[in-house]
Amino acid sequence: MIEVEQLTKAYGDFTAVKGVSFAAKPGQVTGFLGPNGAGKTTTMRMLTGFMPPTSGKAVVAGYDVFNQSLEVRRRVGYLPENVPLYRDMTAAGYLQYVGEIRGVRNGRARALEVLDQVGLAHRANSRIRTLSKGMRQRVGLAQALLHNPEVLILDEPTIGLDPYQVLELRSLVRELGRDHTLLFSTHILGEAEQVCDQVVIINQGQITAQGSPTQLRAELARGGRILMRVDGDAQAAADAVGTLPGVESATVDSTMGDGIVITPSSADLDPRTTIANTVVTRGIKLVELRPLAVNLEEIFLELTRQQAAQEIEQEAAHEIAQDDGDE
Amino acid sequence: MTDQSIHIDTSGTFNRDVRTGGSAPFWAVFKRELGLYFRSPVAYAVAFAILFFLGVLVSGFLSQASTAQFPADSTYAPRLLVFLLFLVAPLLTMRLISEEAREGTLEVLMTLPMHEGQFIIGKFLAAWAYFTLVLALTLVYHLIMIAVGVPDLGATFGAYFGAWLYGGAALAVCMIWTAITEDQVVAAFLSAATILVLYLSEVAAISIGQQNPALAEFVRELGFTAHYDSTLLQGIIRAQDVLYFVFMIIGALFITTRIVETRRWRA
Repeated sequence: MIEVEQLTKAYGDFTAVKGVSFAAKPGQVTGFLGPNGAGKTTTMRMLTGFMPPTSGKAVVAGYDVFNQSLEVRRRVGYLPENVPLYRDMTAAGYLQYVGEIRGVRNGRARALEVLDQVGLAHRANSRIRTLSKGMRQRVGLAQALLHNPEVLILDEPTIGLDPYQVLELRSLVRELGRDHTLLFSTHILGEAEQVCDQVVIINQGQITAQGSPTQLRAELARGGRILMRVDGDAQAAADAVGTLPGVESATVDSTMGDGIVITPSSADLDPRTTIANTVVTRGIKLVELRPLAVNLEEIFLELTRQQAAQEIEQEAAHEIAQDDGDE
Repeated sequence: MTDQSIHIDTSGTFNRDVRTGGSAPFWAVFKRELGLYFRSPVAYAVAFAILFFLGVLVSGFLSQASTAQFPADSTYAPRLLVFLLFLVAPLLTMRLISEEAREGTLEVLMTLPMHEGQFIIGKFLAAWAYFTLVLALTLVYHLIMIAVGVPDLGATFGAYFGAWLYGGAALAVCMIWTAITEDQVVAAFLSAATILVLYLSEVAAISIGQQNPALAEFVRELGFTAHYDSTLLQGIIRAQDVLYFVFMIIGALFITTRIVETRRWRA
């Protein structure tokens, strides 16, 4: 269990994480999604007890990350970004070393066990410097699994892997999510959609949306626009649909391959049946009719675009205010 | 794709508690770091250079002593070794924390359930143990002295015991620099400068003695040599000198721990 409340991290003037709140439940994979530099790593570092938050609270596995850091660290397995390892040690030797610091019983046997679990038993005695990037990633993952932690925190575990390894790692993450509280970060939207039970979208240090991928999709699709494609005169079809009740506007969008983008007049309204009926009765050949925002990628872009627009507005307002002040 | 594919076996292992108290984490760090000295070319080079350099000087001293009828002096080697510490200590300590910081492995260490002090003590003890071994190897010169004359055993013991403490203090002071910078060369350079300053503080005290006797005394007492050359090296073991070195070690390690802790706030 991870519970985060109003977590904030500031470096001087720069605030990397601004009042982030979310919860990750046991038996679930929670995806931490955001562009590079959104504050994912900073948040994870606070959750693993690597660094203290500036303000706010985080409880991991029942312990406060600030006041009970050692207890938290006992119960968390952490795979940092870039997977730092001792290159001069063997894979098993490294795990044995970490195990000894963690006080793991039967260090050698347990090291081999987790190596087997990540499919690296055959390279147990290879020096880490000789391992490929994907193998190192797995050694790092084995390190995180070593002490059977309740909570697993994986920072961009699929970065730098080849497509086949990415698939393997995703399935491993899904498996591990069944009996761990698993938080993993990614900037790849499709990945979050495939792997996660819950997605937390973070941008510029703030959470912009959270929920299950289906939920997020539904939320945005409901208020969102509809894409229609017809065989024939797109403009004529748009004109026909634009006057219907429940339709705010209908325009031909050349970037969508001459698809018609329809905005409903109310977010709760789904005018698709009306549109379909009208189009068909007028003899227009309907090819496609679907909600526009259907995958996380679109939702994500939409959300971050909105935020960017807001900021530009705010900045403009700020400038106007300053200009007024100058006069 | 030659990798064996990942197969999943999470069932049954999760609910089993694999944690026990076990030995202290610093012991694991100590064993790893000491092992690294025996696999590191730098450490062998340091040991080789020390023994070769001391060997040449001691044999020169011996041939001089035998013609000029000097007394057999077993403190010659530890005294030289203590001077060489400004090179030896930085070389043995420079990578201890800098490398971990640069490689990012420090982040892993700092998310393991141990206090910073644990791995700093582990690393320091490993460096000191390696130094102790090199110091012990120089006892061979004492055996040669016994073969050719009658060295003063009290002075020998004091000189070696003092050199051991001196080495510990020098290594501990170097730990501060390796904690401060991620650059090993910078750490080594600043360490060398610091050790040299502490070695030469007696000389500095003499030069400021006229203007400010109190400050001069303070500078003298702060340095290593005031607690070694005229006491331990002569076989005079005073509590204040031993305590000076012990406090230097504890103080330097405390500062090192604090510096590493600040990484949490700076990171």
